[in-house]
Amino acid sequence: MSITRRGLGLGAAGLTLTARMRPARAAGQVVVGTWGGDYQDLQQTYVAAALLAPQGINVVYDTANDTVRKTKLMAERRLPHGSVDVQALTASGSYEMFQNGAIAALDIGRIPNAPHILPALRTAYAVPHIYTGRVILHNPKLIKAAPTSYADLWSPDNAGKVGVIDIQYQTTIESAAMIAGGSLSNYEPGKDKLLELKRLGVKVYPTNEAMAQALKNEEVGICIMWRARGVQWRNAGIPVEIVYPKEGVVLYISEQTIAKNARNQDSAYAYLNALLDPTAQAAFAKNFGYTPTVEGVTLPPEVEAQVSFPADVRKSFLVQDQAYLAKNDPQLQEWWNKVFKA
Amino acid sequence: MRRTFTGLLPACALVTVFLLMPLLLLFRYSLNRFVPGEFMVDALTLENYEKFVDDPYYRGILQTTLVMSAVVTTACLLLGFPLATLLVRLNARWKPVVLLLIILPLFVGNAVRAAGWMVVLGQKGLLNTLLQAAGLPVATLMYTPVGVFIGIVSVNLPFVVLTLQSVLEGQDASVREAALGLGAGPAGTFRLVTLPLARAGVIAAATLCFILSMNAYATPILLGGPRFQMMAPMVATQVLDQSNWPFGAAVAFVLIAVTLVLTIATGAVFGRQRMP
Repeated sequence: MSITRRGLGLGAAGLTLTARMRPARAAGQVVVGTWGGDYQDLQQTYVAAALLAPQGINVVYDTANDTVRKTKLMAERRLPHGSVDVQALTASGSYEMFQNGAIAALDIGRIPNAPHILPALRTAYAVPHIYTGRVILHNPKLIKAAPTSYADLWSPDNAGKVGVIDIQYQTTIESAAMIAGGSLSNYEPGKDKLLELKRLGVKVYPTNEAMAQALKNEEVGICIMWRARGVQWRNAGIPVEIVYPKEGVVLYISEQTIAKNARNQDSAYAYLNALLDPTAQAAFAKNFGYTPTVEGVTLPPEVEAQVSFPADVRKSFLVQDQAYLAKNDPQLQEWWNKVFKA
Repeated sequence: MRRTFTGLLPACALVTVFLLMPLLLLFRYSLNRFVPGEFMVDALTLENYEKFVDDPYYRGILQTTLVMSAVVTTACLLLGFPLATLLVRLNARWKPVVLLLIILPLFVGNAVRAAGWMVVLGQKGLLNTLLQAAGLPVATLMYTPVGVFIGIVSVNLPFVVLTLQSVLEGQDASVREAALGLGAGPAGTFRLVTLPLARAGVIAAATLCFILSMNAYATPILLGGPRFQMMAPMVATQVLDQSNWPFGAAVAFVLIAVTLVLTIATGAVFGRQRMP
């Protein structure tokens, strides 16, 4: 077969046409930075495959811990285009990234489901994907008097039966501060309070999973934990009861944001909108134990019973002071490592 | 000569691009400043190194790492030498079997091996189940330095045995037989002949084991628990948990420098000693 000038010209034109068609396909792609495991699997099944694939949007994941992804966002923030469009972050993480100019203020008009977001969870720069609240878990076999307050962890009757989690240092200091004259904007009183708990023989576990094992083995009988985890652990046969502390329920909100230099803006907005879709929200409630962040989600009664908060508890919802945490988290963790765990 | 140099170019380029340049970048990061809420701010300061040196908490972690590495290295040499000797003296039928048993743990990653030890050493693990069945008290090994020691020894021992075995294989058996024939006895033969001849292998095995221990990551985290701290996990904590790249980079360079200096010093001291 010989290559003629005409053939070469036609081939080149064809290649040019193909190349021009590619951006159209790229516009139908979104790169999502997220935690892996069940969280990513559920996003793939109930958001990407169920809602975005029919719109012609292909979802690609950048799976890593949020601290790694935050570092990447910061490193790329001055580039015209970043490598990731959507980032799943904690409420603290998205606040930090917004303050540092790495994520964009959202154009709410491009997210049709946004008006249904619960008012307490709204921000200018993130959509709340799922949420839960901080509670006290206890095993009635070991803890005879059901707790009502974080202060009950300090009861001499419970000495040696209390466990705390290393990676939950921030919320543990915060809980101590709430019963020691501190507030969500001042954790300092919590430090001395925690040293009291240390003297009472508190056990420190490295991860949530290690705490679950310790509760199962009855090494400890009481701990501070997210309600969604409590539900998951109860369903797994760990004998714990869930109590809402009278100091109020502080929320954990998993948010999703758009990078300021996102390449695929339209697809990113479509992704955020799909996250808030009632079907996706119901799937996360059923399979993950977290509470929907939008109104109008219909849940089966047994799921509703597990994930919804009673009306009086909803009134006690508290949201962390992100500005305080952004400035103080490093020193809180340093104190935890150097003094509390020493 | 020129051909040899040209042949080395690809390897040199790879090392420069994938090892030296990231290290240089990391060193530059270590001179930056960490501002809470703003992450890494460009600067040229030694304050991250000063923080490490001035704070007894961080010096304590370095000390723990050094002590653990020294103890693990000693234990691996004491356990590894007899194993390597046994391996050398085995006949051709059994040698591959024992060799396979020694290297079998290397087929799985460190984290998986540490997870296996968690099952064995846990409060209600295999070891305590056996102890209880024998009417003995329960041993608390999880989240203790002893647990970490067991875990790191199990990781490093195959490397030590294989290094020693390769040196012992090269020893001429007639030299040992001559010493025995001249009345040195087994202990004397080992002290005067076998050990001095294996000195280069012992130094290599000890160096390898020490470096691996200094940089142990998964084992201290999984078996040491929240209260036991070593250097490599601390680098990860600073970078990944606190987003404090400047201090994490400084800790990494302290770890590299201390390991390098001790390795070179040990090699210089023991490598130059004359045979008795």
